[in-house]
Amino acid sequence: MKVLSGLLVSNFNTGNLARYLENDEESPKIECTSAPFGQVMATLLAPADNAKPDFAIVWTSPEHVSAEYGRCLDGRQYNADALRNEVDQFSAAITQFAGRASVVFVATLSPITDAVTSSLAGMRVGGASRLLAEMNLRLADNLRECRNVYLLDSARWTEKSGDRPRDPKLWYLAKVPFANDVFLAAVRDIKGCLRGITGSARKLVILDLDDTLWGGLVGDVGWEKLRLGGHDPAGEAFVDFQRSLKALSRRGVILAVVSKNEEHIALEAIDRHPEMVLRRSDLAGWRINRVDKARNIVELVHQLNLGLDSVVFIDDSPVERARVRETLPEVLVPEWPADSMLYPRALADLRCFEWPAVTAEDAARTEMYNSERTRAELLERVGSVDEWLKSLQLRVDVEEVGGANFERVVQLLNKTNQMNLATRRLTDKEFRAWLAGEGRRSWCFRVTDRLGDSGITGLLSLERQHDAAVIRDFVLSCRVMGRKVEETMLHVAVDYAQSAGLREVRAEYIPTPRNQPCLEFLERAGFPGRDGEQTFVWYTNQQCPLPEAISCTTERWRATV
Amino acid sequence: MNLQDHISAAIDRAIDEVNAQLPAASRLTKTPDTVLFGREEGLDSLSLVNLIVALEKHVEGGCGRSVSLSSPEVMLAADSPFTTVRSLREYLATVLKED
Repeated sequence: MKVLSGLLVSNFNTGNLARYLENDEESPKIECTSAPFGQVMATLLAPADNAKPDFAIVWTSPEHVSAEYGRCLDGRQYNADALRNEVDQFSAAITQFAGRASVVFVATLSPITDAVTSSLAGMRVGGASRLLAEMNLRLADNLRECRNVYLLDSARWTEKSGDRPRDPKLWYLAKVPFANDVFLAAVRDIKGCLRGITGSARKLVILDLDDTLWGGLVGDVGWEKLRLGGHDPAGEAFVDFQRSLKALSRRGVILAVVSKNEEHIALEAIDRHPEMVLRRSDLAGWRINRVDKARNIVELVHQLNLGLDSVVFIDDSPVERARVRETLPEVLVPEWPADSMLYPRALADLRCFEWPAVTAEDAARTEMYNSERTRAELLERVGSVDEWLKSLQLRVDVEEVGGANFERVVQLLNKTNQMNLATRRLTDKEFRAWLAGEGRRSWCFRVTDRLGDSGITGLLSLERQHDAAVIRDFVLSCRVMGRKVEETMLHVAVDYAQSAGLREVRAEYIPTPRNQPCLEFLERAGFPGRDGEQTFVWYTNQQCPLPEAISCTTERWRATV
Repeated sequence: MNLQDHISAAIDRAIDEVNAQLPAASRLTKTPDTVLFGREEGLDSLSLVNLIVALEKHVEGGCGRSVSLSSPEVMLAADSPFTTVRSLREYLATVLKED
């Protein structure tokens, strides 16, 4: 497992934060360096050196950013313009520093010592609380265009420590301002963010039904008597839990059901209960039967073309949880509270679904999986793959990477595991820098058929080297694998190389534990040459035709167009 | 629970908190002879501060009495109570009995 390097920049002692980051068991593994404390601006503005950490955390006190804020805390007159100027200088320093780390997390400004402030006057004009809120908003506005900088809400961390987030003894003895619970909460958040950015966030929540999505056993009491909504504390909590799950699905997390029930009875409850928030259309799939849940999970995950390490399994039964945990260690099986009123909080505490940005593809993901289910049913009816693809009226639109598609492309690059030639993980800034290099081209592929729009699901990046086009990224979402889109991407690569007068296209497969499907594609794609075990070569004197079942709108990728 | 049990429980919990910040190979065991702070082995100064602050919290939570372990007189004494788990337990028993 790759160890990420982190740099901590602060005006207080970050030793405890560094130690929790390094010794926390959850992935990713981290090694930390702390910049000299108190040297925030000097560190941010220092000239670039060769050491580029994978991430940096800038966490400093508001007084350190703004002397004017300190004056306000002291009960003295302060200058609002000067305060804004100080926040702008701090923002500018972070923006400059952003080029020296792959990702920069900036903690929102929050007090590090217990100052005497007034609750009555705090949010009035000139009050300390209002001023702090204004400083944080200004910071957020100033940094919003800086794509590898993420402002993290430190209030989420301090609230975890109850009414004593600051620890005066740690402060006076070691210049550590916060109680360790605050740092533990920060570490959970930061690690969740790193997983989100590096593409290892969880993508699929598999849910039990009885006493998980609703109260009671539907097979025993019928859907009319389930505890769900109504004037019932537990029923309300189940509805809130479903609402939280629905909110996750709107951000691209896929929902599915594995339950030991009679399928028609359970589906009737999902379809007909008036208080159900989640309906059949919110589920990408289900296995409702009496089969072992671990086996059902494996089948469902296979059907959805995901990996087991994408899955969170939520079940009220400790026995089922233990069974899945033991059989499928890659699946995240959180301990689950016995009391349904604690379900929404348990879900919120998981911190495994971080997303840097929500794209249109994320919002429509469940719909896409529903279309996929219809496609699979169609395939069963039609028979051959080619006939099936023709019946789908598959269209692939090829676009140069940039502008509106850029965010989605970066997400695709960082989230895709299976059909991924080299598994390059790049921030948008790094990818933009790569694209700016000479002889580099990158296209994305939007896939549509008569059942729906799968969105941007493919990425091809090429780099000219002498008389060859070297494929740097060959990435295809698992959602459209097996529909000849991969063949279409290879066609584009070869056609481009031919139009550019190049002699060959080279694809070097870099193995990971997850990208075996890419190797299998390369091996069956008909590459005429091999250079060693893992480099596939297509000589441009041989055609690589567009698959018959695919229609491509333009040939804008050609060098001569 | 008697006073000795409360003290032992408070020390154990404080050690657990400090261990959460340490790599597996450096974690403290909870045996009486475990060196907490010494010239050659044991905790570094930041970990010692964490141990002290955690211990004060757990002693207050368990025994209902506050104790200050962070004064220079205690921390830097020649026969420092933070030498081993045993010396810490004995020191706390003495201080809390005196109270």
